[in-house]
Amino acid sequence: MNEILNISGVVMDFPTPKGPFTALNNINLKIAEGEFVSLIGHSGCGKSTVLNIVAGLHQATNGGVILNGKEVSEPGPERAVVFQNHSLLPWLTAYQNVELAVKQVFKNTKSKVEMQAWIKHNLNLVHMDHAMHKKPDELSGGMKQRVGIARALAMQPEILLMDEPFGALDALTRAHMQDTLMEIQNELRNTVIMITHDVDEAVLLSDRIVMMTNGPAATIGEILEINLARPRDRIALAEDTTYTKLRAAVLSFLYEKQRKIEPIAEHAKKKSEMKASNSAAA
Amino acid sequence: MSYARMRECTINRAYHLLIGLMLIAVSVISQTVYAEELGYPEKEELKFGFIKLTDMAPIAIAYENGYFEDEGLYVTIEAQANWKVLLDGVIDGQLDGAHMLAGQPLAATIGFGTKAHIITPFSMDLNGNGITVSNDIWQQMKEYIPKMEDGRPVHPIKADALKPVVEKYKENGKPFNMGMVFPVSTHNYELRYWLAAGGIHPGYYAPLKGDISGQIDADALLSVTPPPQMPATLEAGTIYGYCVGEPWNQQAVFKGIGVPVITDYEIWKNNPEKVFGITAEFAEKYPNTTVRLTRALIRAAMWLDENDNANRPAAVKILSQSNYVGADYDVIANSMTGTFEYEKGDKREVPDFNVFFRYNATYPYYSDAIWYLSQMRRWGQIAADKSDDWYKETAAEVYRPDIYTTAAKSLIAEGLAKAEDFPDFATESGFKPPQPEFIDGITFDGSKPNEYLEKFPIGLKQGDEV
Amino acid sequence: MIRNIFTTLQALVIPLIGMIVFIMLWSMAASNINTSLGKFPGPQAVLTQFSALYTEHKAERVKEKAFIQRQVERNAKRVAADPDYVPKMRAYTGKETFLDQIITSLVTVSCGFLLAALIAVPLGISIGLSKTLNTAFNPIIQIFKPVSPLAWLPLVTMVVSALYATPDPVVPKSFLNSMITVTLCCLWPMVINTSVGVASINIDLVNVSRVLRLPALKHVQKIVLPASIPMIFTGMRLSLGIAWMVLIAAEMLAQNPGLGKFVWDEFQNGSSDSLSRILAAVFVIGFIGFLLDQGMRQIQRLLSWDKSTASR
Repeated sequence: MNEILNISGVVMDFPTPKGPFTALNNINLKIAEGEFVSLIGHSGCGKSTVLNIVAGLHQATNGGVILNGKEVSEPGPERAVVFQNHSLLPWLTAYQNVELAVKQVFKNTKSKVEMQAWIKHNLNLVHMDHAMHKKPDELSGGMKQRVGIARALAMQPEILLMDEPFGALDALTRAHMQDTLMEIQNELRNTVIMITHDVDEAVLLSDRIVMMTNGPAATIGEILEINLARPRDRIALAEDTTYTKLRAAVLSFLYEKQRKIEPIAEHAKKKSEMKASNSAAA
Repeated sequence: MSYARMRECTINRAYHLLIGLMLIAVSVISQTVYAEELGYPEKEELKFGFIKLTDMAPIAIAYENGYFEDEGLYVTIEAQANWKVLLDGVIDGQLDGAHMLAGQPLAATIGFGTKAHIITPFSMDLNGNGITVSNDIWQQMKEYIPKMEDGRPVHPIKADALKPVVEKYKENGKPFNMGMVFPVSTHNYELRYWLAAGGIHPGYYAPLKGDISGQIDADALLSVTPPPQMPATLEAGTIYGYCVGEPWNQQAVFKGIGVPVITDYEIWKNNPEKVFGITAEFAEKYPNTTVRLTRALIRAAMWLDENDNANRPAAVKILSQSNYVGADYDVIANSMTGTFEYEKGDKREVPDFNVFFRYNATYPYYSDAIWYLSQMRRWGQIAADKSDDWYKETAAEVYRPDIYTTAAKSLIAEGLAKAEDFPDFATESGFKPPQPEFIDGITFDGSKPNEYLEKFPIGLKQGDEV
Repeated sequence: MIRNIFTTLQALVIPLIGMIVFIMLWSMAASNINTSLGKFPGPQAVLTQFSALYTEHKAERVKEKAFIQRQVERNAKRVAADPDYVPKMRAYTGKETFLDQIITSLVTVSCGFLLAALIAVPLGISIGLSKTLNTAFNPIIQIFKPVSPLAWLPLVTMVVSALYATPDPVVPKSFLNSMITVTLCCLWPMVINTSVGVASINIDLVNVSRVLRLPALKHVQKIVLPASIPMIFTGMRLSLGIAWMVLIAAEMLAQNPGLGKFVWDEFQNGSSDSLSRILAAVFVIGFIGFLLDQGMRQIQRLLSWDKSTASR
């Protein structure tokens, strides 16, 4: 398969009053066309920073990202982002939100009628055709995220970047969304980087899982190939031994190798402080 | 609009047009006579300013009786906040003309305050001011005032009665504050005249030293308050007395917050009061307009004094409208109809309290101008000595009987006025004969201002400087 | 159902009771306050003045008609005598009635407000978007914001007089003075609220715009402006409220036509009707202020996507 994305030697320092803080150190990752890659790690490990660097929203201190042979220096619609908090414009309807993207991306290539059809097609893909004239306020969290995905897909990106897209959703809705996403993936075969901290989600959706070590100076700890056949079925997989093994591998990375250690004494102190402040507030 | 109604309108219009044309035919014959001499006004839309005082009456009457419109002038009349705003309005052209203190055009022209060449073709009235003290001061003054048989005080009351009161305040280290309406107002000079005649020093000005408060060497400290706010300021205790035009003395009686002690008629019989001021530039640029507005004002003044003040009640009604003076009818009527109420209930006849036309009240006499200039010199507003000629030249620069004469003559020619109501224009020199009727008995001869100044016990004389 | 009726009743009856208590207290207090202009006016006196003011207005309109008629005749006469004359119709020169003054004030406040909006919104957006501009302008805004616009009035008056020296002005200077004062007073709250609204825009929305590579102008038009509309309107409502108060004061101070001048003239007149007329004006001023705020709220509701800010 063709390599589409190459992240090489990425280092990210953030300036702080006490001097630069190294968040990421030496991240190297190659992604092939049509590949679905999950980034998993404990919160604060810099997963989102990696994604933002790929999106062009952040500039790496060192190293760089090459997409289809071109170096990434600024954000662009060929690297569509699905944000964690949907990021729909609250004053526009679902349709208009997608329309804004479509009009911008296809202003020279699609006619008005074609654009209309394209917007509707994408809303259909995420099963939002019934509510496309509703404003975000009138939609549930899951529906908003569907529109967010539709907007990203409508840009026809070379790579789709998803920043914990289902993190804010309840378990049931999340399962629905995962199914929809797999359905779409079957059809479109997009290249995807998805950030998640849900092990099941990562195993279910990905072709590869990139596991990150804890920060500071976080880097890629292990990469796990998920060679489960597609289409995948969550119920069937629950009994699947490969699945269980893969799941166990991820869990072991997260909770044994990269366990976030909080010294017991600290923990106890924090607890008592919390109690004190609570009783003071009362 | 229905067809019938439209027809009616058209007929109506045609009818009006016919009448109009007939009127034109008549008027063309009668008007050509003066239309040749006196051209159409160059500027037709005018805005005049005034201060809420009864002596603005000629302007209101000229408007309400249509005299301005008769001259082809469309005048808007607008009350002004205070004398300074009014003067600035005239100077910068927001106002085309205004009801002014006689001292204002003179002071502006000689450059005391804002310098600008203002002229006056029309004197607005005689008398009309009064001096009021607060109830408290009145009680203290009363013991020094001689009584008549009926127990009422003898008028005119001299400032001699106020002197012990002022001295008491001085001894106690309390400033004795009084209000007047403007540094170059008639009221300032009248109040000073009255105080000085009673031996109370009203203070000198020293403009060259930058002191324009007028309180140098003063026994009584005079300061400026806009006329309509006088009663409120007196009531608040900020001042103990004031000199102001009507209706603000009578207002104090009605409100029960003060007692008028003397009218300016008693300080100087038939003293000239307000003038109508315009810029010299305006008169030059719009000569016809200037003559025409003077004509309208003369007619208004005539109407105000006609048949022994017969129109005064009607005039009071107009003045009491909120856009003119706006005070209650009764308050304005008190002085306008020939009476003046001193202490509450002590109403006396002062038939000439407000004179608008008789005694040649509207003619702008040079000698009137010179009296004001003499008082400016007396109190130091004019810092250095001036020759008698300077007084005369300055008076002639500001007071413009020539314009007045043109206006009056054209009115006479049209039969709108009688020649005998005016001075004899052929011989009139612009100087009134020496006037002896002042409260201190000093005679004023307008042709000898420097000699006049020598006669005052209090006041700057030749060679004096503050 | 019964509960519903009860709450409606409550919503109607309680303000009514409040009103009645207020009017009772007012009349009681009024009859006990003696000013030098007579008793403090009670509700009855104010009501009488309302009808008197309306009668005056109508009478003035009749006079206006006669004035126009006379003018037409005079013009015809003049044309007959002087064929070169181009007749001109002049506006009525008589006094401005209470209703005229209300309209003058409303026009002034609207013009001043709109002018302020035209300046403040673009300025606020630029300041909100650019840190450099923000740093540059912030001290100026912070210093000018607490200045009472009335302090500007003398300066405005002088500058207008100096710069606007046409012999035949289209709009009167006094109108310009009042209007600019209103503008100055509206400016700061609008600039501040707009810039804060723009600066506090959700970073995700900005990122959406960046990913889409929206050009600067489109970014402002499609993202920034709509996003900050709730804050812009909050600033507008705030400044309109202040503007109305300031305008009345400015009119009083500068004797510029409008409700403020009406109040001041009546105060100066010192007639026995003055206090009740002033009180009538006070009610009108309050009521118009209330209507202005409600009007802005309705517009805000209509234009703003964030309904919660409009309900306050």
